[in-house]
Amino acid sequence: MNKRANFLFKLIFIVLVSGIGFYSAFPIYWMIVCSFKPYVQLFTKVSIFPWPFTTESYKALLTMTNYPTYFKNSIIVAVGTTIITLFTVCPLSYILTRLRIRFAGTFIRLMLVAYMFPALLLTIPMFVIFTKLGLFDTLTSVMIGQSTLTIPLGVWLMWGFFKGIPFELEEAALIDGSTPFKAFIKIVLPLSRAGLITTALFTFILSWTDYIYAFTLIFSDELKTLPLGLAAIYGATDMRWGELMAGSALITIPSVLAFAFVTRYLVQGLTAGAVKG
Amino acid sequence: MNGKALTRKYANSRQMSLFREYWPFFLLAIPVLIVTIVFIFIPVIYAIILSFFKMETIVSPGKFIGLGNYREIFSDPLFWNALKNGVIYALSTVALQLVIGIIIALILDHNFKGRNYFRGLAIVPYVIPTVVASFTWLWILDPNVGVVNKVVKTLGLGTITWFETPFTAMFSNVLVSVWIWTPFVTLSFLAGLQGIDQELHEAARVDGATWTQRFLFITLPLLKPILVIIILLRTIWMFNKFDIIWLLTQGGPLHATEHLPVLSYLRAFPMFEVGNGSAIATVNFLLLIILIFIYLKKVDIDE
Repeated sequence: MNKRANFLFKLIFIVLVSGIGFYSAFPIYWMIVCSFKPYVQLFTKVSIFPWPFTTESYKALLTMTNYPTYFKNSIIVAVGTTIITLFTVCPLSYILTRLRIRFAGTFIRLMLVAYMFPALLLTIPMFVIFTKLGLFDTLTSVMIGQSTLTIPLGVWLMWGFFKGIPFELEEAALIDGSTPFKAFIKIVLPLSRAGLITTALFTFILSWTDYIYAFTLIFSDELKTLPLGLAAIYGATDMRWGELMAGSALITIPSVLAFAFVTRYLVQGLTAGAVKG
Repeated sequence: MNGKALTRKYANSRQMSLFREYWPFFLLAIPVLIVTIVFIFIPVIYAIILSFFKMETIVSPGKFIGLGNYREIFSDPLFWNALKNGVIYALSTVALQLVIGIIIALILDHNFKGRNYFRGLAIVPYVIPTVVASFTWLWILDPNVGVVNKVVKTLGLGTITWFETPFTAMFSNVLVSVWIWTPFVTLSFLAGLQGIDQELHEAARVDGATWTQRFLFITLPLLKPILVIIILLRTIWMFNKFDIIWLLTQGGPLHATEHLPVLSYLRAFPMFEVGNGSAIATVNFLLLIILIFIYLKKVDIDE
């Protein structure tokens, strides 16, 4: 290849790569920039820097809307769902790997089918069941609803992790007189720390960003989670784009942080169907 | 007795003794199992049962009408419209995600300075919450004050109503959905690319194969298994998407972006036609079940 062609090739490559960067990141950049712009400027001119820089949108969001309440609800639901999921998934996937139960494989497959169910098909019967139980419009119903999504995912993930731990380790502990339960707590759980963290973070992300379950199971404004609350702010007020962008930026931070911790498992998880979306 | 059978026998006897020692564990796991079954499998079955009933209110027991709801939806033009929209939406988004995702993966597979930063940037659309993505795009594409239309206007091309006409509404939904879920294809394809032995490419290059030939006859055949899984999963997920369409256009204008999940929601919730909505959701699931089974066959679960 001569020098000139080489240069041209490099130039095209740089343009392509910058194009990818722009395509992927511009909307998010724009969201953050607009959240720091003065209110009036949002509608009058296009500037790609937030200048003059102001936090008035954030102040308005936190004082004039129910955003703090939505934030609190989202934390409760996400943490609650994560705890429910971990406590359910650990014993379940552990016995599925350690005892060769006849239908363990079928059970895992059924979990995957349940996981791939159109969420909306699940929300209709849940709506009916929760209404009959008097749980409609409570945060509990949202946690249970989201758990139907995160438990299959968790079983699928933890099953893989527990399978990788050699049984001989526990066997040695059992011979030394430990009870199976103790062996599980003292040996298996510490060894599967990576798995537990991955499961917890994926659960947290799914719960934090979930719109469908909260949308169908919550009615009162003071019980709405963040995604739902943001939609409520959008619907109730006209042209509050500054607040909406500020609210979007604040929801994004925890989920991006959680994703940053699981990138190592993200790729594996994607093709195994572990990440819904 | 050969070695294999011996091992199996040993494993079985070990499992029996395990069972004797592990019963406290079973005691713990059985309630968990029951709760899981109650909250995951029962709603699935209940949804299908509901589709055979006509309900006046949510809490009333309802009346069994057999296949009545199905007869009703099959003679409903809105159902066929939703099915058509869903197919258009799913096929176009999956196709575009594949093409764009593979192109991005091929570019980011090259070795260059700052490659990891660009890989990080490329996943951004996927890791932000769907709600955030939809509001950001609603703002960017706002017909009067959005940045895209301001640029379009300065170029003297008038105003594009991104969400107001049937065609542009579907187009915008596809555009935003492709933007959000392309990184899924990029990431999985990139992982596959890294598993390819570079010597194969070297050998082909020595033999005079062009870039296109190498892509068509080395890369694609080697990545076929992963590609099949990507296509299956993407089709399943895109056929089920509800939140993005609901947040952007709510199925409108004039039912132009109303697909099966949106229609089933509209029937079951605002209109309280729970049976009708369940029937639509069930049909949606039955359409996907073949894909789900192929996927389950491809994903090996060694028992």
